[in-house]
Amino acid sequence: MPPPLLTLKMQPTSVMTTKPSILSSTAHADDQVYTLRNAQDMCLTISERGAALVSWWAPDRYGRVADVLLGYPDAHGYADNRYYFGAVIGRWANRIAQGRFTVDGEALQTEANDRGNHLHGGPQGFHRARWQATMEDGGVSLRLVSPDGDGGFRGKLEVQVHYRLADDGSLTIAYEAVADAPTAVNLTVHPYFNLNGGSADVGDHMLQIDADYYMEIDQSGIPVTVAPVGGTAFDFRQPAAIGPRLAWPDPQIQLAGGFDHCYCVKPYNKGKPGPLREVARVYDPGSGRQLQVSTTEVGLQFYTGNALEGVHGRATRPYGRHDGFCLEAHAYPDQVNGPYAAAVILRPGQVYRQTTVYRLGLIQ
Amino acid sequence: MKMTKSHRIALLFNANKIFDREVIAGVAAYLSSTRASWDLFLEEDFRLRLPGIEHWQGDGIIADFDDPAVAAALSRSRIPVVAVGGSYEDEAAYPLGVPYVATDNFKLIRLAYDHLIEAGLRRFALFSLPEAMENRWAQERENAFRSLMRRDKMEAEIFRGQGTSAPSWDEAVEQQIKWLHSLPKPVGIIAVTDARARQLLQACMIAGIEVPEQVALIGIDNDPLARMLTRIPLSSVIQGAQEMGRAAAHLLDQMLNGARLSNTRIMVPPAGINVLASSRHEPAKHPHVMRARHFIRQYACQGIKTGQVADYVGISRSSLESYFRQELNCSVHDEILRFKLDAATTILARGNCNIADVALSCGFTSIQYMHAVFKRELGCTPRAYQDRARQGFQAAPDAASITHPEDATDLCDDD
Repeated sequence: MPPPLLTLKMQPTSVMTTKPSILSSTAHADDQVYTLRNAQDMCLTISERGAALVSWWAPDRYGRVADVLLGYPDAHGYADNRYYFGAVIGRWANRIAQGRFTVDGEALQTEANDRGNHLHGGPQGFHRARWQATMEDGGVSLRLVSPDGDGGFRGKLEVQVHYRLADDGSLTIAYEAVADAPTAVNLTVHPYFNLNGGSADVGDHMLQIDADYYMEIDQSGIPVTVAPVGGTAFDFRQPAAIGPRLAWPDPQIQLAGGFDHCYCVKPYNKGKPGPLREVARVYDPGSGRQLQVSTTEVGLQFYTGNALEGVHGRATRPYGRHDGFCLEAHAYPDQVNGPYAAAVILRPGQVYRQTTVYRLGLIQ
Repeated sequence: MKMTKSHRIALLFNANKIFDREVIAGVAAYLSSTRASWDLFLEEDFRLRLPGIEHWQGDGIIADFDDPAVAAALSRSRIPVVAVGGSYEDEAAYPLGVPYVATDNFKLIRLAYDHLIEAGLRRFALFSLPEAMENRWAQERENAFRSLMRRDKMEAEIFRGQGTSAPSWDEAVEQQIKWLHSLPKPVGIIAVTDARARQLLQACMIAGIEVPEQVALIGIDNDPLARMLTRIPLSSVIQGAQEMGRAAAHLLDQMLNGARLSNTRIMVPPAGINVLASSRHEPAKHPHVMRARHFIRQYACQGIKTGQVADYVGISRSSLESYFRQELNCSVHDEILRFKLDAATTILARGNCNIADVALSCGFTSIQYMHAVFKRELGCTPRAYQDRARQGFQAAPDAASITHPEDATDLCDDD
């Protein structure tokens, strides 16, 4: 088991010899970064800050290793992390209309930080918190206690996220949470992938999502209807390149400046999690890398990095629109205000659980 | 329930060509996913229909604009038209006032080129077609190749050769061989189509040029027919033709509903790359080994034995075995078997096929023997291998029977 590293490492080699990096000169010099490896030459780093996936080095079909995640050049970026790069999102992933909902008749107002709505736990969400990490069970466990009233949510919430990297390239992310009062909980993780390692945007990536329905949104990103994907740019039941779909004349794509929509990957589950199932695949024809996403969750948010515009990241050039994509598994957006609100309320004595697996490999 | 009006739609494509067929398949896939109801008109020879097409009593047309006669005939169309064709470097080459769905010629070539680089090649060439209005895409692929060579500071070695028609066949092959001999080896060659790649592969066979050791070759289209007709499995770039068909159908569907899309252009990148033996270049081995492997690649599936390989190379069995041990750390028999196994797994992965036929066509003397080889080398039976390859996505629940999944929970609950 490699010990926790004190440096934010950008190369998978020379782990232990890396000289103290920029980290030591920032305000968050003590954020530790943990490294997971497997037999396939993969190397994954996770920061205590935001429990964020910082980098994931993986070989392509020719054996060349590259980082398939977007990220900041130093720890300073993760302290603020306004693009949610790689971070765990909570207490509520995705949006809540106007930040308002009720639990057991009690009206709550969470922070409205995105076009009048609540987004991703608010400006001080879990993505900015310093988590407590330990190496255990062949992976990394990160723990966080979110106090009563955090971000406007009721009750104290204790969260644990466990990351484990298997030799077959599977990164299993297991979440658990308990609360001391009824509270809305919806967790996810927000890695931006670029399977070509950043040599171009993700327009040529071939995407497949096993979903017949997605959620149409209004101007502020709140879902308004469940619509069939058939005949629309949202139909990824057969693999299709992302770039051309962005060019289809579609009012929903125009609204979001790309894809930022939730697919219903377990449409008959009444908003409740179900068995772990593969719901999406993405492959990059150039590198041959393939990502498979499996989850217990009902929703899969597909986001094409529409807000990335001149973001100073780890690449030599600034990130631009569609330089990365996200597939975020979670409950339905704004589910607290929908017919299945009860399914996202965690009560004392219950345990919130979700599992999502990102498996990185090569196409045959 | 509202009845949707049926539209009469003509598809002006050459259904003899793999690319056109894929586009048509994409149109069909789109239609099966929507409530749009189209009566499709497909002709055996659509070019006969071109004169007077503007008088056709239909509702819309999707057409192959690579053919200048089609583009000209449809320039006066009063009904909605969606154009499908190749991309152009020069903006002015696109037809005016028609939505256009393009295969990205630059990205096709770049994908092939990147692959050859990663396969270890350092010299490159392009095998094109004689210049003609009907295949302007071949010139666009030349342009793409030229600009990549310029970027990487190399000379762009391009050979157009002759078109292949029966009377000049021998002459065309002779010229190809002459060109092949003139190239410094090893060389990676991109052919502008699989048909073109197949001709060149044949020329290599006739001239005794080892593929991929001396010439690594990759085509475009991933045409199963071209693969079937070559002894050495041909690598190929897969065009996004089905997605082009889906996009074109979507645009026409929108236009039939009143949308004005005349300036819309959708560029579709390649959907993948099928890497097979013709471009699996490896650093040079001893000439005897190269020559032996060349023979094995061609004839492994016909049940050859070590003795025949040695005869072909012209040295004794024991010398050949020692060269193999030294260079590849395996026996000649192992190499033959490995190739047969590769061929069998490729066929099995493709889907429905009879195991006995696979054994026969891959040069196994019996099903039992193939079974034993699979168990030993792959740890599973041929059948299990086939099943595993078939497991992709589970079929999604049938959407047609329900209107709103959130209200349809009584139909099914898999929780």
